[in-house]
Amino acid sequence: MGQAHPLPGTARPVLMNAQTRGLPVLVKALTTREARVGFAFVLPALVLFIIFRIGPTLAGLVLSFMEYRIGRSSFTGLQNFSRLFADPIFWESLRVTMTYVVISVPLTTVVALAMALLVNRPVRWQSFFRSAFFLPYVTSLIMAGIIWVAIYGPSGPINAVLTLIGLPTANWLEQPGSVLPAIAVMSVWKNFGYSMMVFLSGLLAIPGEYYEAADIDGADSWRKFWSITLPLLKPTLFFVLVIETIGAFQVFDAVYVMTNGGPVRASYTLVYMLYDQGFQFFNFGAASAVGVVLFIIILLISLVQRRFLSERAS
Amino acid sequence: MTVRATRSIGLTSAGTYVALILAAVCTVFPFLMMVVVSLKPRGIGNIFRMLNPEGVSLASYDKILGSADVWTWTFNSLVYSVVSVVLVLLFSSMAGYAFAKKRFPGKEAMFWTFLAMLMVPTQVTLIPLFILLSWFNGIDTYWGLIIPTVANAQSIFLMRQFIAGIPDELIEAARIDGAGEWRIFWQIVLPQTGPIMATMGTFVFLWHWNDFLWPLLVAQSDATRTLTVGLASLQSEQVNTSEIMAGTTLSFVPTFIVFLLLQRFFVRSIMTSGLK
Repeated sequence: MGQAHPLPGTARPVLMNAQTRGLPVLVKALTTREARVGFAFVLPALVLFIIFRIGPTLAGLVLSFMEYRIGRSSFTGLQNFSRLFADPIFWESLRVTMTYVVISVPLTTVVALAMALLVNRPVRWQSFFRSAFFLPYVTSLIMAGIIWVAIYGPSGPINAVLTLIGLPTANWLEQPGSVLPAIAVMSVWKNFGYSMMVFLSGLLAIPGEYYEAADIDGADSWRKFWSITLPLLKPTLFFVLVIETIGAFQVFDAVYVMTNGGPVRASYTLVYMLYDQGFQFFNFGAASAVGVVLFIIILLISLVQRRFLSERAS
Repeated sequence: MTVRATRSIGLTSAGTYVALILAAVCTVFPFLMMVVVSLKPRGIGNIFRMLNPEGVSLASYDKILGSADVWTWTFNSLVYSVVSVVLVLLFSSMAGYAFAKKRFPGKEAMFWTFLAMLMVPTQVTLIPLFILLSWFNGIDTYWGLIIPTVANAQSIFLMRQFIAGIPDELIEAARIDGAGEWRIFWQIVLPQTGPIMATMGTFVFLWHWNDFLWPLLVAQSDATRTLTVGLASLQSEQVNTSEIMAGTTLSFVPTFIVFLLLQRFFVRSIMTSGLK
């Protein structure tokens, strides 16, 4: 955030007073009735945030510089990180996670945009189609994962169709080459409905006059898509890409229920590694270091995406 | 709007229908397969004849519902979801009211700090939360499962936006009539928040009903284990697929009801606020 982008609606005077004149002002300010009432109403949320969000976030950062053992803990500086960066399993899990992101994010985005364009057309049963496409979004990843294990199974529908048309079958979740695309396809099924709805709201906001003007100029529909729809959809596209990317970097549930990180770590993602280190080996320091890496990646991705899209917009 | 939409992409009408129907079949097929597998305990045989009524029975449902575990898991999922919904809605509407209508020192800093926490992936906090809970014997308890998930910045943000739209005159009038602060909140402000309560309630319910990693860590025994964690454990114990599918079908029933009843609410809120 910082100073470059002042946040809208930030009332500076109150903030400044409290900061520049310090605690006495704050205490004095709380003596007005309205301030006390206001403070009382945020208090439950504030306490919950400090104990269960802010505190643990800071503790997660601190733990990544510690060796934490029951009864015996010590600061070990950058040791967790140097160990992590020397561990080939970490680099493999980073590569697996990145590969997953690179497969699933564009796939979900393209499918969601295409479906949004289709359900935006005046068709019969339009609301039925919208609902049907949205339905998988409300399932749990555990449910989705269990169903798709059966779909990818040796005698599942995918292999049955392949046999029917005379193509070789495969054990999709048990081959290192196909496991990540297979999980990505499942997540496209589960998630595209959400992004489709976001795209749909973006499409509905584009003024019809643009298309009418393009019609007068004789532009064909392909041209209209590239010159009108897509540029005007850029903020929506930015939002969808960021949301999908952040979600994809955190992939865990699907991997847990579909592959357990296998075969031979071909789907061993960062969060899976965090889970393994923290809750299988109880190596809390190492797990926290993985968490910090994940945190930094997510922060960087949203900054890079923001920059990239704003450059292209200008 | 509709005219523009037709012109915007040059697919023929027939092409549109073919694409839509194909996509709908692909989207619905996994649900269909789940139900069919759950109804055929002896396997579905040839996939192209899976709709053949031969071999249909409720045996898998009998079996899965005959196990006490599944009932406990379902009950636990309900407790986890419903209690969380109530607490999130209560605390976030209180905070939203204060942020929207009251002036107090540190208000803006506090509000933006809450929002900034949205950028922190929850996985970073898992280990500290786990250690914290184990200090206070919160592992494998309902409160340990529920309380840490109640701090919800998105809900506070949307409550603030919504409550800001309630006219100040309404609140002032109640104050002049001598209503106390809590009564103003409870009897004047809260009754106005119906739409946002329904939206947030739906989302919080689904987040918790479908939640997995947090219950996996905290709910360690069958006494507190939720349905998602229980189903995943059946999957890893290689229980008969038909029975697991009966379990997933049952786990989807509450979600499906919520979806049918409140679809409009949350589709609209995704489209206006990008709530996820």
